[in-house]
Amino acid sequence: MQNKKKSAMLVLTIVMALVLFVTACGGNNGAQDGNQMAEGNKAPAAGNGGTDTSEELQLKIVMVGAKPVDYDIVFTELNKKLKGKINATVEAEFLDWSDWTQKYPLKFAANEDFDIAYTANWAFYNDQALKGGFLELTEDMLSKYMPQTWAAMPKVAWEQARVNGKLYMVPNNNTEVTDKSVIIREDLRKKYKLEPVNSPETFAAYVKTVAANEKGMSAYGAKAADGWKWHELDQILLEQQNEWNLVDYNIPLAYKLDDNTGKLFNVYDTPEFKSLLDYYKDLADNNGWSKNVVSNKNDVWQDMKAGKVASYAQNLGTVAANVAEARRDTPQIEMAIADLTPDKKKIGAISTQNGMAIHATSKKVERSLMFIDLIQNDKELHDLMMYGIAGTHYEPVGDDKYKAGPSAANYTGFSNWGFNSPLNRTDASYPQEAIDMAAEWESKLYNFPLETFVFDDSKVKNQVAGVGNVMLRYAIPLEYGLIKDRDRGQEELLKQLKAAGMDEIQQEMQSQVDAFLAVQK
Amino acid sequence: MNRHGFWRDVVKHRTLLLMLAPAVLYFILFAYVPMAGIVLAFKQFNYAGGIFGSPWNGLDNFRFFFESGDAWRVTRNTALYNIAFIVVNNVLQIAAAILLFEVAGKWFRKITQTVLFLPYFISWVVVGAIAYNLFNYDVGTVNVLLKATGMEPVDIYNTAAYWPVILVIVSAWKAVGYGTIMYLAAITGIDTEMYEAAEIDGANVFQRILNITIPNLYPTVIILVLLAIGNIFRGDFGLFYNMVGNNGLLFSSTDVIDTFVFRSLTTSNEIGMSAAAGFYQSVLGFATIMLANWAVRKYDKDRALF
Repeated sequence: MQNKKKSAMLVLTIVMALVLFVTACGGNNGAQDGNQMAEGNKAPAAGNGGTDTSEELQLKIVMVGAKPVDYDIVFTELNKKLKGKINATVEAEFLDWSDWTQKYPLKFAANEDFDIAYTANWAFYNDQALKGGFLELTEDMLSKYMPQTWAAMPKVAWEQARVNGKLYMVPNNNTEVTDKSVIIREDLRKKYKLEPVNSPETFAAYVKTVAANEKGMSAYGAKAADGWKWHELDQILLEQQNEWNLVDYNIPLAYKLDDNTGKLFNVYDTPEFKSLLDYYKDLADNNGWSKNVVSNKNDVWQDMKAGKVASYAQNLGTVAANVAEARRDTPQIEMAIADLTPDKKKIGAISTQNGMAIHATSKKVERSLMFIDLIQNDKELHDLMMYGIAGTHYEPVGDDKYKAGPSAANYTGFSNWGFNSPLNRTDASYPQEAIDMAAEWESKLYNFPLETFVFDDSKVKNQVAGVGNVMLRYAIPLEYGLIKDRDRGQEELLKQLKAAGMDEIQQEMQSQVDAFLAVQK
Repeated sequence: MNRHGFWRDVVKHRTLLLMLAPAVLYFILFAYVPMAGIVLAFKQFNYAGGIFGSPWNGLDNFRFFFESGDAWRVTRNTALYNIAFIVVNNVLQIAAAILLFEVAGKWFRKITQTVLFLPYFISWVVVGAIAYNLFNYDVGTVNVLLKATGMEPVDIYNTAAYWPVILVIVSAWKAVGYGTIMYLAAITGIDTEMYEAAEIDGANVFQRILNITIPNLYPTVIILVLLAIGNIFRGDFGLFYNMVGNNGLLFSSTDVIDTFVFRSLTTSNEIGMSAAAGFYQSVLGFATIMLANWAVRKYDKDRALF
């Protein structure tokens, strides 16, 4: 009896809470909703109660990244709150960075019992969506079970997440420019009285000067051996510089950003690539990077912090975090962020950069969607998921900033970015120049019709496998300046690509691009 | 009648059969049951259909391997490396076992054995890191020593020609201890009366080794080599991947089937295509072991595996 009464009360509370969200969202859309909701204003319940949450459920989430040390503390707290709100608790499983690419597909192949999985365009999203690993999300489901997200998310974000017209992901709600920048040693630049680094030429001058004068230091660092099929500067010097966009980083096919016909070309077979090879060769010959860069097994950022490397290329967010970290830990080294292509068009991250998907065989779909909805839009839960416990892992600074707390390191490093939303706080120690740079980039954000095009390689997977292999074997050494005769190296690369079936891929991709553009018009 | 006899045998040898049971169970569970998964090599795998429900796609999964033009190169590399490993490792193992057997001091023997065995327990990842610290151009131990003695440094990681030698040495370094113990056990099992008789007849150490120890080791050698031959088309992934990684400059002389397949499919995760590559290796391995066994049978019936 006692029990029954208790659970009935619980159901009532949950229904009330849910209704509250639904109604609150109907009123005004936009990011601020979450803020108000967290305060828990007791608006009178009205409308449909909707979902039955009488049964307590445990949701299982698959995350990538190392399990944070204070996982138990934060998630216990999170679960307390969740239980009150949707009568559910969550348990996360972490796939460590070292082998997540092997384990992630296995989770699906073995059809393990889990409900929600982190996914992203770089984390098997298309692959698993096409293989049937994720549940298709319909607009009905989204508007019913995640009304806040449905209201807050820009429509284009949903569109960008479609695979063959179907949606399998709740993308994160976050604008971000994907352009890369380099981080350099500002103190060394000043020491050698070099011009500010803001173009490929000034960067080359910096690299060569450092290489010539700083013994035991690698002027540019890269981890070329980890399976990435491009020179780590290619995104800046080949794509951004020429305003191209590569469709898929496993295939060397790109189109010009301003080309509305979306004509694809092989980037290795362009004069731009040829002159870039000269640029790279010049750096390599001047000891700009280690001769064994393709066998490097070290963490480039750690090497840079230790004073063994003088520059490397990464996303603005990462580089900015690096600068903040360096200012805290190694104040004797002065770092700076450099944009080598400041005047070029900037590309925005498509929404599938981060997101959460529902496992195809989950039996707790409704509650899982409600959970994602809460974490994205409930200020209190969002803060818990993203930053941990206030006072321990972070110190809130106002409503939209935070400072690292005493044990910040114990709750970080995993894919909670899947829940990014306008409620995100920015690090108060985040370098101002990075904030400015991001703002400036966003003002130059260029939207183009093919932005959301995703290549379905299922018809040419044999060729894609072959081409990827050729890129690793022939393109990487060529780009890092390890091949003496560049012209012959490039010829060989093109010949091998052709043999691996490059033409068929190009045909298939072009026909998909054409079909995609035809639908858009 | 017959059945009666069978059950009586079972009861009679129950202890031996019980001892055999775990091994039989292991092979049934991990070798025979999964064999049904071979159908994946001919299927377009998807999660909804699973192993048996996915649609067939003929020989499509094999195409990436053969159309790339690399199939011959990596197959040849795999076989040649394994032949080199088998020959070098076995010769070293037998030599080490004989030397250890002939050395009198018990303590010396034990310590040497342990030291030889130690590398066997070091993971390939660690070996790869050690190798990088030895061989890299800028700060590697080898090159630092070369430079200190006024010689030109060698660019090991960019020169494919060095790698067959390096890989054979590293493989031997890691495998010698393990094999030595097996051969030492075989030598210890040789009837000591033969040695006594030889000594009385005035045979010296070398004659004893040549005419007693080595001929008595033949059966062990043949079994171990035959077993190794079955895996001749399977590259030791840990060895090759951790030593060479994704260094394209070295692929011409270091790429084996396993690393090639791993590299090709690591981004696409096509289970069917990986299964096809595994199937190809198994078929080649099966053919080789049948051939080798037939050859041994022809030479001496009693020494064949089956």
